[in-house]
Amino acid sequence: MNMAVSQTGRNPVAANAAAAIEVRHLVKAFYDASGDRITLAATDVNFTVKRGEFVCIVGPSGCGKTTVLRILAGLEQKLSGEVRIDSTTPPAMVFQEASVLPWLTVAQNVAFPLSLRGVSAEKQRGRVNELLELTGLTEFASAYPHQLSGGMKQRVSVARSLVDDRDVLLMDEPFGALDEQTRLTLQQELLGIWERTGKTVVFITHSVDEALTLADRVLVMSPRPGTIVADLAVPFERPRDVVEMRRDKRFWDLTYEVWRLLAASPEH
Amino acid sequence: MTNAHPSLSPEDIERLKAPARRASIYRIFSYFSPLLLLLLWELSAQAALIDRRFFPPPSAIAGTAWDMIVSLELFDHIGATLRRVGVGYAMGAIPGVLLGLLLGLSAPLRRVLGPIFAALYPVPKIAILPLILLIFGVGDASKFVVIAIGVFFLMFYNTLGGVMQIPQIYLDVARNAGATRFQTFRRIALPSALPSIFTGLKLAAGSSFIIIAAAEFLGARSGVGFFIWASWQTFAVSRMFVGIVVISAMGYLTILAIEALERRFVPWSKH
Repeated sequence: MNMAVSQTGRNPVAANAAAAIEVRHLVKAFYDASGDRITLAATDVNFTVKRGEFVCIVGPSGCGKTTVLRILAGLEQKLSGEVRIDSTTPPAMVFQEASVLPWLTVAQNVAFPLSLRGVSAEKQRGRVNELLELTGLTEFASAYPHQLSGGMKQRVSVARSLVDDRDVLLMDEPFGALDEQTRLTLQQELLGIWERTGKTVVFITHSVDEALTLADRVLVMSPRPGTIVADLAVPFERPRDVVEMRRDKRFWDLTYEVWRLLAASPEH
Repeated sequence: MTNAHPSLSPEDIERLKAPARRASIYRIFSYFSPLLLLLLWELSAQAALIDRRFFPPPSAIAGTAWDMIVSLELFDHIGATLRRVGVGYAMGAIPGVLLGLLLGLSAPLRRVLGPIFAALYPVPKIAILPLILLIFGVGDASKFVVIAIGVFFLMFYNTLGGVMQIPQIYLDVARNAGATRFQTFRRIALPSALPSIFTGLKLAAGSSFIIIAAAEFLGARSGVGFFIWASWQTFAVSRMFVGIVVISAMGYLTILAIEALERRFVPWSKH
């Protein structure tokens, strides 16, 4: 938490003034005391994310992409390297599984970060209503999570991550568990929200298709210990139509390109 | 009234509501099903299938109970027992829940203090009753303490178990949202552990009445347990049964009350 804040600005190492996130030579390892084994999760990870950019990191499961994101969020400690987030607010995270708190209603879940900060009930209500509107949850405001579908729950997570208007949004396979149709709908909604809010987004996925649909740039990670093996620009114009863009030949060329990179990266 | 749904026929709506209605009927039946046992007992005693000296029919017991109610004798005993259980229960439950939350959230505290509780837990509460009587005397204080000890361990272990099962992701959510340690405790640990806490509250209520009965047998001049013991000494079997029924009913109603609270405070868990 504090980590992200303490790493803001100041240090002039950032060559690119517009960089919101800079990761240099990041290494993360885990130690299993019972087996006396060290597992290298990610090694020499380097990338930069510009302010307002939408970047997807794609890689095979277990490649350490979630670990990298958790380090950015301050939920995990790096072993070595540099992580710099240039922002006055800590990054907001949207988690992989259902992270909606089951004892709170939809509206209370969305309000959660505000309520921790002692924002007045009236201000909370106003802001929460805006976000429920934005994510199409207005009529579910007083429902409990167990009454919602998977897609609805992830909408709640997205709304919660936006409620206190932080600059950087970290998304850890937020649509991974959803059926394809719901996923496409939520991707389209997310693009709309991103275009309106101009957040800096780092989005983790194992789906090449999803990465190309959403991102300005796709970073391809190798299998564990993960490292960035390619950095591809995704040239589609904005605003995007997630269905229409599948008619574009470049979409399939890029799909092929990413798959080739994933297949070529060495297995350890 | 339900909101109108023009596309659904009245029959459809009836079918839709049927399971919820059945559930509420089951709930009403669940209050009365123990009465079936009483009916069986009454019939067996009337038909002399069981020895009436040991098992007077419920109607005879009810007659005795009525006399005791009219003379207000019964209420003094109920009041004394309820006060002891109530105070002891609170004295045990509050620290039990707090320590359960604390040790559940802090691995170092759990490792250091956990073994102390684990070592003390298996001591039968009734076995230390003489010791407690010695220390706290035969007054109410000793009853408070023995119940508090029994309740404490049940609440401690149930709360601890509840906290240990909090999915890590809820803690991550709290941290990412900027929660302080205390906020994590109050807004995440407590509600996640609530279902287990309520399980503990019900178990503790049951065992409180077991403990108070034994405690009042041994060192008390009032209370339902004392009353059962005194009746035994005078072979007033009917009165003894009144005592047994009353203390059972007290336990049963307490658990029903806790279940009602659970429905009120844990609306997200299914019953």
